[in-house]
Amino acid sequence: MLRVNIKLKRDNFDLVINEQFDSGITGIFGASGSGKTSLMHSVAGLATPNKGTIVINNQTVFDSVAKINLPIHKRKIGYVLQEGRLFPHMTVQENLLYGFKKNIKQQLTFNEVVELLNIKHLLNSKPKKISGGERQRTAIGRALLSSPKLLLLDEPFSALDSNLRDQILPFLIKIHNSVRIPILIVSHDLSDLLKLTNRLILIEQGKCIGHGNYHSLLASKDISNKLGADSLLNAFTMKVMKSNGETGLTVFSHKNEEQKIKVLCEQSNVKYSRNDYVKIFIRPDDIALSNIKLENITIQNQLEGVITNILEHGYSRICIVDVGFPLIVKITAESAKRLEIRKGNMVWCLFKSVAIDVAG
Amino acid sequence: MLNFNHSELIAIWLSVKVALLSSLISLPVALVFGYGLARYKFFGKSVIESIINLPLVMPPVTTGYLLLVILGTKGYIGATLYQWFGIKLAFTFSAAVIASVFVSFPLIVRSVRTAMEMVDPGLEEASRILGAGKLRTFFRITVPLAMPGILSGTVLGFARSLGEFGATITFAGNIEGETQTLPLAIFSYMQIPGHEIPTFRLVMVSVLISFMAMGLSEMFVRRMRRV
Repeated sequence: MLRVNIKLKRDNFDLVINEQFDSGITGIFGASGSGKTSLMHSVAGLATPNKGTIVINNQTVFDSVAKINLPIHKRKIGYVLQEGRLFPHMTVQENLLYGFKKNIKQQLTFNEVVELLNIKHLLNSKPKKISGGERQRTAIGRALLSSPKLLLLDEPFSALDSNLRDQILPFLIKIHNSVRIPILIVSHDLSDLLKLTNRLILIEQGKCIGHGNYHSLLASKDISNKLGADSLLNAFTMKVMKSNGETGLTVFSHKNEEQKIKVLCEQSNVKYSRNDYVKIFIRPDDIALSNIKLENITIQNQLEGVITNILEHGYSRICIVDVGFPLIVKITAESAKRLEIRKGNMVWCLFKSVAIDVAG
Repeated sequence: MLNFNHSELIAIWLSVKVALLSSLISLPVALVFGYGLARYKFFGKSVIESIINLPLVMPPVTTGYLLLVILGTKGYIGATLYQWFGIKLAFTFSAAVIASVFVSFPLIVRSVRTAMEMVDPGLEEASRILGAGKLRTFFRITVPLAMPGILSGTVLGFARSLGEFGATITFAGNIEGETQTLPLAIFSYMQIPGHEIPTFRLVMVSVLISFMAMGLSEMFVRRMRRV
């Protein structure tokens, strides 16, 4: 658990944060220069706040009144910076073991980390010789092996092109499933964050303007405007029910067996077995709404739900439809008017199996 | 042509000994100063920089004279050393080493500093975050990454010590077997008519040693670059 209550003076504004971060992934979202990195620096000890306290697992690492300021190397934080910052004169293995302490009980062993991040074949290579994604994975592994109480990832995707981003996501999800520590991920790209977590913190001009579940944040008009309609994304974890090798279609279900989704999984090259948990992403503008269930249509996924909220975004409308879980649907204002879409209405959400992305 | 006499061999050996000792003394100090100058901003930094670099621009004779004034048996510090501990520095082998340290130190510091400035401070930060203290970070990250510059600086300093003349003759004198290094021996031979061949012999040795030193420096730099 991480508790931050600090004030840090900066040139153009003051960073004032009073938040608590529990184990699991929290996404920290904000524009460039909003103070996200300053927050990370303060937690890691790279920046010294002017006032306040920082507590990690009941250990006070900073307290301006009690004059406590634990040096960087004693804070036990895994901090992965944008470019990875691998040591160029060491091999991947030497990098991984740099912060490794034999006598401390690790959450993950060396072999587990190497396995988890799929970097076994790189152990004897120098960082210069490996790809950007591999460097990023090594940096994450190195941080994990330093037995951190907290993992900070600063823009873990920005140095990677979109193809590599999708490669690193499953690894982050796996890490999240195997270590029980707070993981803070900073990004200016909301859809990247949403692929990993629903728990978000929004920072603007050094202040936290929203902290909580993505869907509840979306319900507040002020905040939903700031999230930006273009970067909205439906991301949820589903269970594999059936995987059909012949058609390439995998059937997923949410808690309730009735909310089945068929997904074409040929892109991900991964075989899914029954009862695996997998993250699924659908863009809100890939979903259509209909008042009735359509029979003669190629669209395979049709989920019935009730509209719980409608948000105005210029000429488009963002509908939150509860189909057993909240689904964000983006339609035009004109369509909303034509179909008489109103809060409380029952609608069918239609989306094609090929429009769905899967991580892991 | 190649039969060196005893005093010539002693002069060569003395030169190498002085240069090695002076590099050995300068290097650790240069690492500390180089790091301090590369990484920290502090009050009086430019004054310290000027003092370190002074022997680089001053005539070596001046450096030797100042050393004599400060460390001579009647000098400000030298008098105390002599009266209290019986330590005499001027006109001894130690004086030759001290003179060498002062003239070669700025060269080594310069090279070390530039090399350390090139090391990404982000890597030092990363090391600290991974739980390494400042000292461990210095020896495992900063020094290895700055190694080509450190080595080539040391070799440069070594070569400068070999060639040291002015400060040595002023502060350490030209005593055969004690402070008469290669350049001083060459100078002495030049004064005696008919000693052209021994002079040339020593000149050749001097050129050869300098050449080897530069070659070694280049080799270090290239080897580190390849890694």
